[in-house]
Amino acid sequence: MATYLASRVAQAAVVLAGVAVLVFSILQLVPGDPVRIALGTRYTEETGAALRERAGLDEPLLVQFLGWAGGALTGDLGVSFRSGEPVTALILERLPATMSLAGMSILVALLIAVPLGTISALRPRSVVDGVATVVSQAGISIPDFWMGILLIVFVAPLLALPTGGYTPLTEDPAGWLRAVVLPAVTVGVTSGSVLTRFVRSSLLEASGAEHVRTARSKGLAPPAVMAWHVMRNALLPFVTVLGVQLAYLLSGVVVVEIVFSYPGLGELALQAVQSRDFPLLQGAVLLFACVFLLVNLLVDLSYAVLDPRVGTR
Amino acid sequence: MRTPRALPLVATTAGLALFLAACSTGEGVDAEGLEEAPKASASTDEGAGAPAPEGVLVAALANTPDQFDPHVTTSQASFQVLENVYDTLVVPSAEDLTFEPSLAEEWTTSDDGLQWVFTLRDGVTFHDGSELDAEDVVYSYTRIIEEELSNAFRFGTVESVEATGENEVTMTLTEETPNLLANIGGFKGMAIVPSESAELDLATQAVGTGPFELVSTSAGGATLEAFDDYWGEAPGIEGVEYRYVAESAAALTGLENGDIHWSDNVPAQSIEQLDEQEGVELGRTSSTDYHYTAFNQTRPPFDDPDVRRAIALAVDREAVAEGATFGAGTVNQTAIPEGSFWANDYAPFEQDAAAAEQLLADAGAEGLQFSLMVPDSDEPAVAAAQVVASQLADIGVTMTVDTVETGIFLDRQGQGDFDAFSWAWIGNIDPFDYYHAQHITDGGFNFQGYSNPEVDELLTQAAAETDEDARKELYAEAEQLIVDDVSYLYWFNPDVVEAWSSSVSGYEARPDSAVNFETVTLES
Repeated sequence: MATYLASRVAQAAVVLAGVAVLVFSILQLVPGDPVRIALGTRYTEETGAALRERAGLDEPLLVQFLGWAGGALTGDLGVSFRSGEPVTALILERLPATMSLAGMSILVALLIAVPLGTISALRPRSVVDGVATVVSQAGISIPDFWMGILLIVFVAPLLALPTGGYTPLTEDPAGWLRAVVLPAVTVGVTSGSVLTRFVRSSLLEASGAEHVRTARSKGLAPPAVMAWHVMRNALLPFVTVLGVQLAYLLSGVVVVEIVFSYPGLGELALQAVQSRDFPLLQGAVLLFACVFLLVNLLVDLSYAVLDPRVGTR
Repeated sequence: MRTPRALPLVATTAGLALFLAACSTGEGVDAEGLEEAPKASASTDEGAGAPAPEGVLVAALANTPDQFDPHVTTSQASFQVLENVYDTLVVPSAEDLTFEPSLAEEWTTSDDGLQWVFTLRDGVTFHDGSELDAEDVVYSYTRIIEEELSNAFRFGTVESVEATGENEVTMTLTEETPNLLANIGGFKGMAIVPSESAELDLATQAVGTGPFELVSTSAGGATLEAFDDYWGEAPGIEGVEYRYVAESAAALTGLENGDIHWSDNVPAQSIEQLDEQEGVELGRTSSTDYHYTAFNQTRPPFDDPDVRRAIALAVDREAVAEGATFGAGTVNQTAIPEGSFWANDYAPFEQDAAAAEQLLADAGAEGLQFSLMVPDSDEPAVAAAQVVASQLADIGVTMTVDTVETGIFLDRQGQGDFDAFSWAWIGNIDPFDYYHAQHITDGGFNFQGYSNPEVDELLTQAAAETDEDARKELYAEAEQLIVDDVSYLYWFNPDVVEAWSSSVSGYEARPDSAVNFETVTLES
């Protein structure tokens, strides 16, 4: 296990280094001059040159890259071009908000997907299955910005919930929950609808396996067959998809964040793109890469726990 | 500074404010102390028994500030916050945007117009407790000039800024600059910061002399508290909590619920509905901004003024303004809005499709095809472009609308890589800002490549003419030529539209879009 972990971490380091080089070089190709954007209607040759120099954008690319990469190794991701604040601080400030939203959204998604998917799989092509299918199709089809606006306009006043913003958990747990619930429902319904379809199909696939037929034929009660022989086998693909969903949510859900004025990482990354704030964008992409690597590692490790055969390979 | 912080309960803030007030006057906190005006200097305190400030105003901004250094930021959202935190030597009045004393109490100009002497107000305190003196003004202006910060160009004719007394600042100019006051007081980008602020990070910390102090900023908003030692009349509220709310449905729902007291996030489509809504006040005034289209005059077909005139004749400006602003805009064939001292009633173009077609035929440009570049961030410009395209189709001109990402738009504009582009200028007050750099040959913003020696001569003269009426006449002449030559095709001045709860009084929407909460009171 230890060697497995060590090799995975080494792999992750190589991937991150590759991501760093790629992000940096691709951003240089993106059209749009950060200095012109920052100065807007006040751009002149002189102010432009002065800003370029202050931001270090006049240095050769290799010097810029080495300076940035060297800092990144020590956790210093440079200074945001747009706001003049350290990138690390900007990201850390928004990380709790994004983690809250991702966590709560996954919770909502599971609360929808597991019961709905299981019921559908138990009675495939029944009326219940039909209703569940329609519900999950609707959840997938409703655009998240539209659902967010509906919740803001109709549900927020009804339940006296805030129409946007974020309150840190450490400051006011009740306020935190009130701020997170509507965005989490918006994201969770979409994710949950996707997962419902997945729970249903992987349960159906697992229940068609030969060992399940054997279990049934030896007279095991259907609920026991479901719990011990079907669900356990269906878990592996499900955990994989869940991991991908979680990593996706952790890298920010831009549209929902904007609709709910939610200060998350997605909105930060969007601002960075619009203002060509290269240090901030590089930092954000690097963080997203870390998140994906970490979640994938956790998913892989969970295989060993869920399926003893994986560990012995 | 980055720690997000929830707004303290009203009672807590009130207690704190009183405690601080009591400390500053060396009195104990007791019931009588509460009645005392919390101001030490009290230079303008007249009416005794002014009510104590009450309540925290929640303001929802449509856009997010980039940072809070007034000399660096160019973001309008930043200035919507900083307007209440910093002061300039002079300020535009709310009525007609003429300049009034602020940190400078009075000023004199030498006979040759090259020396301006400003006398600073006494007893002005910065938020860090230090006193304002001439060195602070010298430091602030020198910082902008020497570090080539965003507004350095406004000091183009300034040779030196010197402290010639504790409270006296002398600016020496290389040539007469009649619009000097607009340059140093038009907006808070020319704010006075303390000379000690070299050690501060002004991007996140603000030390001004304004009615409110910036106490915290976070990803989702910023919090201001009333400044007890403010030199002017004390604010009527305890503080302002800014929230960045990009979604207008959320801002308007918050306004209805009472969660939000004020917002500038009012889409033109909802004006009618809000106007009738109880509990919500709508503020609307014609702004100093303007929308325009510029044609690339350095290459065919738009190097021929008649082709540009044909376009100007073919369009129905009312329909364009309506399509872009849903009625919240005023058609104008020049840049300067009606109501300004500098405005002229000049509107030579009347829609005439036949004349337009004739002009095109004479210029050999029948079946003209061109592309109009529009930045995606400018929704009214994008909407206006669609209307223009359909109108031009009627005279056989094919205009494709090329909506591009704003960063790329700026690149292409700078490189002259366009047939035509539409955009808007915001926040101008003096005619120099409206016309000079946009239309003088090789001007910094003359991306369209306009060149008319007569206009150059008039603009150069006007820039240095100190007699106001003569100056207005010069600009009027230049303006007519610019309009006749269609250096810009001017469309309309959009309205400033803001909405606030009926519990807010003393607020007004200003033509320069400045958001000032100094005189606002809040009913609980």
